[in-house]
Amino acid sequence: MSENGMTCGEFADVAAELALGVLTGRERAQAVAHLDQCDSCREHVRQLSLTGEEMLGLLPSREPTEGFESRVMARLGVTAPDSDHSPAAGGAALATAPGSGGGQGRKSPARWSRRMLSLAAVALAVVACGLGGWALRGVTGPSAGGGSTAQAPLREATLTSATTQQEEGKVYLYDGSPRWLYMGVDTHNTSDKTVICQLETRSGRVITIGSFQLQGGYGAWGSPDPVAASDVTGARITSMTGTVLATAHFTTSH
Amino acid sequence: MAARPVTLRGRSDPARATASPGRDVTAPRPETPGKRPGGKPVAKKPIPWNGPSVSDSVQRMGIPADRLPDETLLAGLGDGDAELSLAFVRRFQRVVFGVAVTVLGDPTTAEDVAQQTFERAWRHAQVYDTRRGSVRAWLSTIAHNLAVDVLRARTSAPVDPQDLPALLTAMTDTPERFAVAHDSAAGLRRALADLPGGQARAVAMAGIYGMTARQIAEAEGIPLGTAKTRIRDGMEKLRTAYLREDVGDE
Repeated sequence: MSENGMTCGEFADVAAELALGVLTGRERAQAVAHLDQCDSCREHVRQLSLTGEEMLGLLPSREPTEGFESRVMARLGVTAPDSDHSPAAGGAALATAPGSGGGQGRKSPARWSRRMLSLAAVALAVVACGLGGWALRGVTGPSAGGGSTAQAPLREATLTSATTQQEEGKVYLYDGSPRWLYMGVDTHNTSDKTVICQLETRSGRVITIGSFQLQGGYGAWGSPDPVAASDVTGARITSMTGTVLATAHFTTSH
Repeated sequence: MAARPVTLRGRSDPARATASPGRDVTAPRPETPGKRPGGKPVAKKPIPWNGPSVSDSVQRMGIPADRLPDETLLAGLGDGDAELSLAFVRRFQRVVFGVAVTVLGDPTTAEDVAQQTFERAWRHAQVYDTRRGSVRAWLSTIAHNLAVDVLRARTSAPVDPQDLPALLTAMTDTPERFAVAHDSAAGLRRALADLPGGQARAVAMAGIYGMTARQIAEAEGIPLGTAKTRIRDGMEKLRTAYLREDVGDE
């Protein structure tokens, strides 16, 4: 029982209302107070909140009235470009649109190479463009590369499958200011859609940095401000249940 | 696994109170549209950057804007990049307007809410945290919270119970496009369709229209305890379905 008297059982009765934002008055105050002291209930209500958000995704889409996009752009103070936005002829598509279903098949050596090549390019682009913290899912195809301005150490490590020992991705750790981590995974050894990224330190600590989603076994992800790079000895990917899927050890820098 | 942020919907907060800076859409942002905030991060999550914009990088790589990932378009919106902003609005305007008009029923008010949603997205693009969900879900939540705030300011009943069957049918009907593509919400859709009628209505009234258990009890003519039980039981079933999808069972 928590200090304010609400038990986990009592909290469970109102958790859904709290997650949906419809709990009011004293009940809400007691529930929030309980939440501050109970990790398991906090996780429970987090899951309910995400469920509520996903439920909004089931609402039917509707076409707004004509000119809506122009009115939004005007409201933002952004001048809309010319209406011709057709893809550039001959331009290599580096990224597939979300939900396009690309990359569902098993990896081929050529595709693997292209993905790792593009991953490296994207990692450098992250240095140049400050894209850290944004997942770039479904990155495929060759890259034109382009003008990295990175000067601080960029460490690189290969992700190796924990079961087959095959290469399954790359991890980049940028020790500049700001620091960031970027990784790409292409694996056929898990059906998990969500994997967890962890870093290993010299002292043996394992620090969870975050999680990201895979599409057809492939995903790329970055995170700003991980732990000090000098302390990091390796990285690993685990399933949501904690099974280690792939590991990497940092040995080089350039 | 480290503790992940807990986000709660706040009754008076149009964007939800939150315990995580990574999803705090109420965080302040400079008022000047189309410019980055002078290299000073709004929150810890994003990387401050004074160099080339996202669109500069995109053009170097030759990526068509309409094929970029949602997160990149959102970053472009945050930068005030015209092409990426337009692509972002075009990609999500139907979703955002759909949420607003479903909750409010009035297309005129819904358009204003939809515009406000994109403004919020621009204002808070740099604190969007991909770990907390998709851009679509994030935008839908902003639109929903704004719409519910408008709804609560009205004196009339939030929703006519007679309208609920049509809404639930629309939410559980599998669109044709999902027949050939992967429907990431298929499990949740099925779970909602399988809920007993009373639970489905209670979940929709609370989750979509922001009605309290007491309001639901009055609208349905049932005891308050029954309304609370329906919300709890219905949401628990949906949570189970959501978790099954999230861990990647296929």
